This record gives sequence, C-alpha cells and structure tokens, in this order.
Amino acid sequence: MTLVDAQLLADLHFWYAREARLLDERRYDLWLETVDDAIRYQVPTRYLTAQADITDFGAWTVDRELAQASDVLLIDDDHAGISKRIERLQSGMAWAEMPPSITRRIVSNIEPGEAQEDGGIEVFSALLAFKSRGPDERSFLTAQRRDLLLPADGDFRLRRRLVIIDDTVLMGENLSIVL
Amino acid sequence: MDARHDLIERSVAPDASWIRPDIFSDEALYRLEQERIFGRCWLLLGHESQLPEPGSFFRTHMGEEPVLVTRTLEGEVRAFLNVCRHRGAQLCHEDRGVAKSFNCRYHGWAYACDGKLLAAPGEKQLYYGELDREEWGLIRVAQVESYKGLVFGNFDPDAPPLADYLGNMAWYLDILLDRRAGGTELLGVQRWRIPANWKIVAENHVGDEYHVGFTHGSQLTRPIESRAAPAPLAREIRPELGHGIGVDIIPEDLSPGERGGFDEEVNEYLRSIAGEMTERLGEMRPRLFPIHGLVFPTLGMVPILNSIRVIHPKGPNEIELWSYCMVDRDAPKRVKEILVQRSVSAFGPAGSFEQDDSANWTGVTRNTAGHQARKHRLNLSMGLGHEGEVDGLRGEVGLTASDINQRGFYLRWVQEMTGGQA
Ligand code: FES
Ligand SMILES: [Fe+2]
Repeated sequence: MTLVDAQLLADLHFWYAREARLLDERRYDLWLETVDDAIRYQVPTRYLTAQADITDFGAWTVDRELAQASDVLLIDDDHAGISKRIERLQSGMAWAEMPPSITRRIVSNIEPGEAQEDGGIEVFSALLAFKSRGPDERSFLTAQRRDLLLPADGDFRLRRRLVIIDDTVLMGENLSIVL
Repeated sequence: MDARHDLIERSVAPDASWIRPDIFSDEALYRLEQERIFGRCWLLLGHESQLPEPGSFFRTHMGEEPVLVTRTLEGEVRAFLNVCRHRGAQLCHEDRGVAKSFNCRYHGWAYACDGKLLAAPGEKQLYYGELDREEWGLIRVAQVESYKGLVFGNFDPDAPPLADYLGNMAWYLDILLDRRAGGTELLGVQRWRIPANWKIVAENHVGDEYHVGFTHGSQLTRPIESRAAPAPLAREIRPELGHGIGVDIIPEDLSPGERGGFDEEVNEYLRSIAGEMTERLGEMRPRLFPIHGLVFPTLGMVPILNSIRVIHPKGPNEIELWSYCMVDRDAPKRVKEILVQRSVSAFGPAGSFEQDDSANWTGVTRNTAGHQARKHRLNLSMGLGHEGEVDGLRGEVGLTASDINQRGFYLRWVQEMTGGQA
C-alpha cells in the first residue's frame, strides 16, 4: 500500500461530510454547485452471480455482479437528468417526497484511489442512507460509492458517481432521494 | 357455496362499478389467488433473448413459486420449480447465467438443464441401484409457450393454449412484438419491493389513464389543464376481459410509430421502419401507439417508455416488481441507449413517474385494511355504459379515460376465482 497525504484525506472527509449535510438539509441548490457539468451519476442493477472460477480471485469481483454495458440501470443521469431530479423534488407535485423524507447519510471508509490523468481523484466510500416518512415508511440502504472528484479552486467537484447498492432487490418502496 | 365464494362475490359488483377493499388485504382471498389465478393463468417468465445459448438460465417466480427457466442443450425453453426433488432444497441460487447442469448443494443430486436427474451421490451403494431417475426429475411447469419472443408458463396442464388465452390481445401485442422482422429483446432487470397488494398495481397498468394528469403532475408540461380535465390521451381498449391496453392515435402529420416529444434520433429511426411496420401490421395498427397495458394477471406494460414488468405477489401486502426494457432487437445501438435511458429516468424505483405511483399503491393497501375502511366500497364507475366499438379495432373500447379495463380486470378476477364460471 501507499501512504496517503494526510491533508488530502482531511479535505476529503470534510467534503463528504458537507455533501451529506447539504443533502440531508435539502440544500439542493448548494449541492448542485458541487456537481460538475459533465457529471455521470449511475446506480447499476445487481445480480447474484456464480463465482465459478473462484480460484482466480482477480476475476472474483463485485463488477461481475453489476449490470453490463447494454443493461438497464436503476439511475443513469447526466447533468440535465440530475437537475430534473432536483427540480422534481421542488415541483410541489413529487408526491413520493411530499412531505419530504427525513434522511440521514453516513459516509465513511473514505479511501482515495488512483489519481487520474486529468488531475481528478478516484474516491471510494461507504454510504449508509436512512429515510423516514413516519413509522410505515422507513428504509435503510448501504452502498459503495465510487466517485471521481475534480479539484477546483481549493474545493472538489463531483464528476462521476457510481453507487453500488448492497442489494439485488431494492427493499425500500422507491429510490426517491439522492444517494 | 362456501364462505370464500361469498367473499369473492361480495368483493366486486356484478357490473364491477365498485369493489370492496377486502380484495386488497384478505389473507384467505390471497391464498386462493395462488391456486386459482397464479396456478391457472399464463404468466410471463421472460424473453427468449434472455436465454441466448444452450444452457442459459434465469430464475424468476410464478406467483409465489420459485421457478428456474432454462434453454436445454437441444435449444428448447423449459421451466421448473426451483426445488430439489430429494428433500426440497433450493436448487439454483444465481439470478442468471449459463450452466450444463444444476447441482443441489444439500446432498449433491445433479440435474440436467432439461430437468432430468443425472446422478445422485451413492446411487449404487446407498440406494442399491433402486432410485428411478426418470421419476425424480425436476417438476416441470406444465406448459411453456412463447409468443413472438415473450415466454410464458402455466402450471395447469389443462389450461387453454397461450394463443387462446391472449385472444385479441395478441393483435395489439403485435404492434410491439412483430413490427420488425428481427423482433425484440428484453434488457434488465430492475427489482424492488413495494408494500402494496398486487391487484392495485395490476389495475393501474391495465387501464388507469385517469391518474396520469394528477399523480404525474410533476412530469407534465401543462399540469393544471390536465388536472382540470383529463384529456383523452389514449383510448382504453379491452381486447378480452382482464387484458387491457391504452393507445394513442398517431396523427396523420406524423409517420406511423412516431410520436411528438421523442428525441429526433428515435423519431428518425421510427420513420425508417415505418414501411416495414406497415408491411407487417397493415395500415391501421402502426397508427396506434400503445401507452400502457396488462396481460392478466401480472404482465404490465408501459410501451411508451419501453417498459415491461411482472408484478410478483409476496403476500397480500407486498409485491416485488421486476421491470425490464424492451427494444427492437435490430434498432441501432444509439437508439437503444436513448430508449433505455429515457425508460430508466421515468420508470423503476428511481423513475420520475414511478416513484409517485408506488407511493399511491402503498397508501391504498395500507389505508384500506382497517375494519372501518373495509366496510366501504371503492368507485370504478367511470365511463360505465359508455363503452363502444370502433371500426377496425378489436374488442370493446372506452372512448375517453374510463374504468372499462379496471372493471374487466376485476370481473376476470371473479371469473378465475370462482373456477371459470362468470
Ligand atoms: S435436498 Fe437436494 S440433494 Fe438433498
Ligand atoms: Fe402512473
């Protein structure tokens, strides 16, 4: 393993904590400012898959469980898509979020990965997301986030996010919040 | 007649102008549905494109029953209960894949992809060579048939053939399935649980055009007008009792199959296949644009967004929705990508439309279950007595938004639940 720049780790922790707070406080306007225009935000479907060549641990990866290229995802948004998602929440007619879910996002296991050619940083993290609309509508989910952050003016912008949910069948009644 | 029969009859008005909420929550009715509806009707298993090679398989459900669908080494599609014959362990645990045989992990019985018992450990020494392999193959779903790519199963060996079951519905399904020589393919699947009774979800697909203007207000460009007077977006067609489809009539200034509001790349593609469509389907049908529909009981369709779904019941208060994208197999890659992305942005657990649908279904199921709420009937009277026939269309037609297809759905439910007698 390589040692990590302590300042970078501190910066990332701060960035993720703030992002989670903005989403939990529903400050979508401020959150959108952290999102790059070229964002790709994806949540793949996931399948229980054989690990037949189990001796080859290199092939025994999570990626094999995820939707393949031509397959259907749960979310596949570009900037326009994610902006519409936010607009919808503010439309006054997004009934699944009226009243809005009470949410809490806990982000941990923050791990910087490879530095990318364009100066971006790949960051892995773990997400625990809770939402509640009263006792009959509560759900938890956990996921891995694989992000690409671009450093910009002493801050980061979110260029890519892949959210790998730890379920093959989603247990909440919908996915009405930003993960 | 027994008490269950009474309960069935009192749940739905003779003309289906009302239903009682028991139908969404009663445990005894739910158990009977497993036998009489899911045990006797044709249910969607999937699509031939999901079984591309010999040995391809996927898991699904028929009603509550776990089912394994395979392509045999000879290329035939078969379906079995996903249950080992030895002591009942779950045989296949993967969602999909390719396998030459299936080994039960409890004691190691092995089955071929045509369901035959291949071997049991200790056949000679422990079973003294007396185990009859022929007798102990996997339990086959009694009938498996395809209709133009879609694969259906039926547990009832005496059920009428699939073509009879679909009846006039097939004529409308052809608009999707048979418009191109190459047919269709199914992509996906999105799967999620919704705490709702399966029938409120099914009836929404079969004919609920009325909700679009309000439930989906956040997605409509002119929500206020739609709210005041639901425009006849589609004609509600009842090809057969229980099946339903809503279609839009494509105006003459557009080419067959085309639709305003689509990406230009998609419309360009649709224009390019207009000739082929007309050749295959005649003049009339390419002018019908299917919006939504249902093949009784649980094959839901939202063709306007390329979505095909199966509503798997998981108890009276829960479903697992499996939602796929269906596209023309020979469409250009880019067109498929656009269609899939459009579909996902609107349908599925995170879809801008479906999020609000699921919130409604959950509310109906939960809030009509109480002792007081159950005493009171729910209204299905829209357009009753105003059904008609339209020259060239098959089946009965509601000329505007109408409950015609929801009434058909519940009447069919009564018919099936009482053993085929209307
Ligand atoms: S239960 Fe399958 S081998 Fe015994
Ligand atoms: Fe809807």
